[in-house]
Amino acid sequence: MKLLEINAQPSRTTTWLLSWFLFAAGITAYFVTATKRHRENPDDRVVPTLAQMSEGVYNATLKPEEGAENQSAWTRFSNSMLWQDTKASGRRFLISMALLFPAVLLGLHIGVFPYVGVFFLRFILFFDKIIALSVLPILFIAFGIDELSKIMLIVIGVTPTIILDTFNLTRGVPEEQIVKGFTLGASQFDVAYRVILKQIFPRVLNSIRLNLKAVMLFLFAGEMIASSDGLAFRIALLRRNMGMNTIIPYVLWVALLLFLVDLTMRVLNRKLHPWFREE
Amino acid sequence: MTPLITIDDVSVAYSNKTILNDINIEVMAGEFVVVIGQTGCGKSTLLRLVLGQEQPSRGRILIEGCAHDHPDRHRGYVPQKYSLFPDKTVLDNITFGPEVEEFAMFNRFTPRFRRSRREFQERAFELLRHMGLSESDGAKYPDQLSGGMQQRVAIAQALVMQPKILLMDEAFSALDPGTRDEMQMLIRRLWRETGTTILFVTHNISEAVILGTRVIMLANPDGSGSKVILDSEVYDGLLERIGGLWQLGQRAPSPSLCVTAAS
Ligand SMILES: Nc1ncnc2c1ncn2[C@@H]1O[C@H](COP(=O)(O)OP(=O)(O)OP(=O)(O)O)[C@@H](O)[C@H]1O
Ligand SMILES: [Mg+2]
Repeated sequence: MKLLEINAQPSRTTTWLLSWFLFAAGITAYFVTATKRHRENPDDRVVPTLAQMSEGVYNATLKPEEGAENQSAWTRFSNSMLWQDTKASGRRFLISMALLFPAVLLGLHIGVFPYVGVFFLRFILFFDKIIALSVLPILFIAFGIDELSKIMLIVIGVTPTIILDTFNLTRGVPEEQIVKGFTLGASQFDVAYRVILKQIFPRVLNSIRLNLKAVMLFLFAGEMIASSDGLAFRIALLRRNMGMNTIIPYVLWVALLLFLVDLTMRVLNRKLHPWFREE
Repeated sequence: MTPLITIDDVSVAYSNKTILNDINIEVMAGEFVVVIGQTGCGKSTLLRLVLGQEQPSRGRILIEGCAHDHPDRHRGYVPQKYSLFPDKTVLDNITFGPEVEEFAMFNRFTPRFRRSRREFQERAFELLRHMGLSESDGAKYPDQLSGGMQQRVAIAQALVMQPKILLMDEAFSALDPGTRDEMQMLIRRLWRETGTTILFVTHNISEAVILGTRVIMLANPDGSGSKVILDSEVYDGLLERIGGLWQLGQRAPSPSLCVTAAS
């Protein structure tokens, strides 16, 4: 049996079959359970069938508002619950991502300029250990329960990691490169931005990419606790009336979106930095 | 005439361990000086001192009679590893120096920049051809080049600035013997053509004698920090003499051992 052989080389067909197997098994198991439960209790809502879920998706995306039955599908979709929730969460997500770029610059400066380093590093190392969720009540009291506190939660939760990652990447640039920069007439900022930042940037993007899940985690925590829209708000709300037929599509939708953002960043990284080899 | 480089009574110590002990060297403009010594004897440290990247614990380093506490565009540098910017093409590696020198970060969006950039690229292409590379190599990234080609580009990158001094730290040590021979011929030729003063560090005895007009040997026979144990113009029997000193350095790591052997 070659199953546990380090040098094994699975063929293309085998690779395809094996890599999709767990998806197929998961889906099958789900629908077998659903069918079984519905045979016992036709009104079961815990494990919705495909029909129930389609209905949930339809209601969340294309169901016309009352008195507006003849709107086009696109208008109906853009007014739909799912799209409105996605927009609300997406906006928070983008603002948080935008706030990560100052974090990258701070990390760079901490790593490059010793005075900036000694000023910030100790504080940020401490700040990094604060559990973001534990300051949530403080945030709500300080900033109210509106947008700001949710954004702040993400900032507190994710920026220290990005700052420290960038700092470490900066420190990993060989001294030769820095000396080389100076001997070619570069100024301090030329070396910081055009030598150091430029060559760590693809790794910084990777680090941001790997922290996308953390961003989403804090975004969801904020939305579930205090919000009136957003994907996580909806999931929390639907839980109260056991709207599993909508919750499950929502969960899959979020996973799909995150997957696409990740993929886009990966492709972008490769296109923008053709010289970059991932190790 | 003031020497180009004056290393005056220089010592370097790290946390009580003396690396360089009382080094005195004067280099005149136009010399090709090779510094040799066994691994860890402080050759790279000496080079970093001359670059201004590091400061001596004692003594002083003067370039044309003036102290410098920072690397600058008058002292070119070709290290053994990481000698090129990995994120820039060969061409951009060479034009980097002229570009940053003439254009501050935010002046790079002007039409004047685009015009000058074309000039810089012309010069870079010329240098590339002179170094035995083709124009099509200009668009490649460093990791698409062989080690020898990378070092050619690194030399071009340094020479485009027309530095007073070119500092090379084991620049050919990672190359295979054939390529190494080629590079030695190349740097000799460039030295003759440009008249640049070169300070070249190596631990290869024959390389030292082939390349230099003058050889300086560092050694640390008694553990009190490396000293200059040989400073000589190149002559016919120099290789044998260095070989003898080298063996001595290897066989006598501490004076106590010498005494035991003698008695
Ligand atoms: N920043 C530092 N702190 C402490 N010790 C150092 C530092 N830099 C170098 N050393 C020590 O100084 C000694 C000389 O180092 P250096 O790199 O100059 O040697 P080298 O002659 O260039 O050796 P090699 O042939 O291996 O390149 C080594 O023993 C090294 O461990
Ligand atoms: Mg060295």
